[in-house]
Amino acid sequence: MRSQGIEKWIAPLLLLFCGVLVLYPLVYLVTESFNIGDAQTFPPEEMGVGNYIELFEEPKVIFNTLWVAGFATVLAVTFGFIQAWILTRTAIPGRARLERLMQLPYYMTPLIGALSWGVLLGPKTGLVNQVWRNLGFSSDFFNIYSPWGIAWVMALFEGTVAFVMISASMKSMDPSLEESSRVLGASKLRTALRITLPMVTPGVLSATIFVFAEMLGSFAAAFVLGIPGRFFVVTTAIWEATLSFPPDYGRAAAMGLSLSGAMVLTLGAAKFIMRKGSYATISGKAFRPRPMEIGPMRWLLMAIAWGYIIVSVILPLMALTLTSFERFATVIVSQMQFTFDNYQTAMAMGSLAPAFANSLTLGIVVATLGVPTIGVLAWIIYRSRMPARGAMEFLIMVPQAVPRLVFGLGLLWAWINIPIPIYGTLWLLGIAYFTVFMPLGLRTIAGVVMQVDKSLEECARVCGAAWTYQMRTITLPLLRPGLIAAWLLIFIASVRELGVSVFLMGPNSKVVAPAIVNSWLSSSSELSAAMALMQTVMVFIAVAILFRVARRVGGDVV
Amino acid sequence: MSAVQPRIEVKDLVVKYGDAIAVDGINFDIAPGELVTLLGPSGCGKTTTLRSIAGLENPSSGAIRLNGQTVWSNTERRNVPAEKRGVSMVFQSYAIWPHMTVFENVAYGLRVRKAPQSEVASNVARVLEMVQMQGYADRPSSNLSGGQQQRVAVARAIAFSPNVLLFDEPLSNLDAKLRAEMRVELRELQRRLDITSLYVTHDQEEALAISDRVIVMSKGRIEQIGSPEEIYNRPASLFVADFVGAANMIPGSVKGPGPNGNLLFEAAGGVTLEIETPRHGRGGNTVALRSSYIHLAPTSGGHNTVPGTIHRRMFHGDFIQYVVDSPAGQLIVRRPPTESYAEGSVVDVSFLPTHCILL
Repeated sequence: MRSQGIEKWIAPLLLLFCGVLVLYPLVYLVTESFNIGDAQTFPPEEMGVGNYIELFEEPKVIFNTLWVAGFATVLAVTFGFIQAWILTRTAIPGRARLERLMQLPYYMTPLIGALSWGVLLGPKTGLVNQVWRNLGFSSDFFNIYSPWGIAWVMALFEGTVAFVMISASMKSMDPSLEESSRVLGASKLRTALRITLPMVTPGVLSATIFVFAEMLGSFAAAFVLGIPGRFFVVTTAIWEATLSFPPDYGRAAAMGLSLSGAMVLTLGAAKFIMRKGSYATISGKAFRPRPMEIGPMRWLLMAIAWGYIIVSVILPLMALTLTSFERFATVIVSQMQFTFDNYQTAMAMGSLAPAFANSLTLGIVVATLGVPTIGVLAWIIYRSRMPARGAMEFLIMVPQAVPRLVFGLGLLWAWINIPIPIYGTLWLLGIAYFTVFMPLGLRTIAGVVMQVDKSLEECARVCGAAWTYQMRTITLPLLRPGLIAAWLLIFIASVRELGVSVFLMGPNSKVVAPAIVNSWLSSSSELSAAMALMQTVMVFIAVAILFRVARRVGGDVV
Repeated sequence: MSAVQPRIEVKDLVVKYGDAIAVDGINFDIAPGELVTLLGPSGCGKTTTLRSIAGLENPSSGAIRLNGQTVWSNTERRNVPAEKRGVSMVFQSYAIWPHMTVFENVAYGLRVRKAPQSEVASNVARVLEMVQMQGYADRPSSNLSGGQQQRVAVARAIAFSPNVLLFDEPLSNLDAKLRAEMRVELRELQRRLDITSLYVTHDQEEALAISDRVIVMSKGRIEQIGSPEEIYNRPASLFVADFVGAANMIPGSVKGPGPNGNLLFEAAGGVTLEIETPRHGRGGNTVALRSSYIHLAPTSGGHNTVPGTIHRRMFHGDFIQYVVDSPAGQLIVRRPPTESYAEGSVVDVSFLPTHCILL
């Protein structure tokens, strides 16, 4: 077949391309983690496992990480479970809208969350603490610059992830399973304990493990709220190690790889549990379980459901907005001085306007080049009979198992050591973004590719259409919503990217998220609030378009 | 049939998926204008065979010829792509493109072939009328009912006048009543267009009703090829007797020659039955007997009469199904609703030797 000819050389070429993108930095990372000689030379002169052993000589960081991640996971799963239960099983007013709004906390990002909660609950100056002290208390209401605070911010963000996973398992439960228990004479309570709970358990358990794995690799909240008090988790310790003099890349790489290993193991466990124990999705159909009638209790439950949205989105955004227009962050009305100066300063600052321009450019370029490339890959992996499809999928998904910060470290080390002078330029950031967002793009597009019934394409062939004609008239139009969604998701992810960027940003290639963090750590919260708000607006515009597209196709693209 | 060039020839076709053999060396021809059905349980290789003919599946060995032209052959190293084979297909899922109107769906094959605008319009109108969807041309195709989608799929498949029409379980997603209606319409349409058709189904009733010939498949092999009557009356294997129609399997052994050139068969229950001598000399130790060919009467005589008691009676509407205890074993008997016996009645059970197929 002629078309097979095209497919034949495209596939190996793309495989090679992705292979280099993904494996090249990882090879450097692994090699460097065994470097116990001079960290600055490559290839290493002395190899050994010293870097790994060192990790356990300082167990405090490991302990910190486990405790913050563990506590945050408990919080997040609790939030997610309560929200999922309220929104899928009870008849509260405005349920559909609330369910859509539940996606918003995810787009707030832990960075914005950390900044705004810093504004709200920072020691002494935090808005809430100001009120508290004004009421006559001598100490702060709560200090967000603490492990508790970090866990709180991470939990608000990951709560949505837990919600999505748990509500999916609740929705996929056939209501007749509960009904038959009732018919056989079991009480409501007995049904809940003996039928509902066991059915939902695998979903909750896998959500817990998944969220925990994400927490282990999360960076932003611990970075913003932990660094000032010198409280380190693994990710921030990695960052710290690269800043020490001389930079200890070996130890950083060993930490990063150990972290990836821990995440892979945990995620593997989650997958195993999903496969072993999910009785709930046997039919693969989505059910809408009959919601419980709960009488006046529904107002309380509605308040709880809204409470999460308010605490995770509305309150932080209000705090940021208020602060960004003030000369000094305050909620004491008599002391308020409103100003546009922060925005003017933000735009006038030598580095910031270019940072916004750079982030926008990167977002647009990476999404525009990424979507067609990943689209072809998705089609090859999920539709063609090409050999090595499985290997290709695995390769593309690898960056997902490596925290972005760690991947950034690998890229940094890899590209410093190559004679092509792209370190410190937007080119490197572009390559890095493309690599780390490949899994996101592939997942999104794959979801749509698999939804499109294969026979729709086959029918075009039988009707006489050649491969290119079929692609143009059938496949691409059917995939369009998914491709647009993938474009927007990659754009959003690029615009707010922090983990990779902190390592790869150069003086002439600043991007938004690290710039905001720098401003937060070095200058005023008012200015940072203005910058954070500008970034959030950029992201939310894209999210609004995304929701529109998603609603038009009537499915969840995210 | 040998004088005419067959439209479809399948020679020693083998299709493997890895180590699993889906189609295990099958042969058949289809003459112009014929409607042939591939019948078998799911996983028997019937759909794989159909898709191989369409060019959607890559066989492992053998050959496929359409109109005398080899479209697939491993020895000739030929693989004509699906779009160049000039066949058309109706898919099980209908495969109606949701982003196009009914008109655009039906016009697709014509537009691919760069037919002039006026020809496209007139052809689409013609075939939509054939499937009684003339008023629907400008409707978006995403909110058609199952039956309407089915009609559009058929219209699209015949619009560009293909040589051969393939049907992949086209009626399996319709409810029983609509299925029976569409069955009649499809047969009518196929006769009118005189278009060579290969039809895949797992529904034996549908296969018998619609086909000129039926090919019964099991585990990748052909069990029997024949007219619907041959398949029903003279099943060539236990599998066919069991899969097509309702039959009783009476175990026992052949005792020797009987009167009128028949054989004597001793059923495991002890009675001796007179059965027809197998035409091809084969014969095992089971007699297949169609439920519809067994008579019940208060008293009777003649061939193969055994006493029986009605054990269970189930009224089906179009027939009554009895479970009858008899020395030949427990027999399933179907009688018209006019022949009603109460449970517990004692009856004479009789059947002709020609209906006893030794397998």
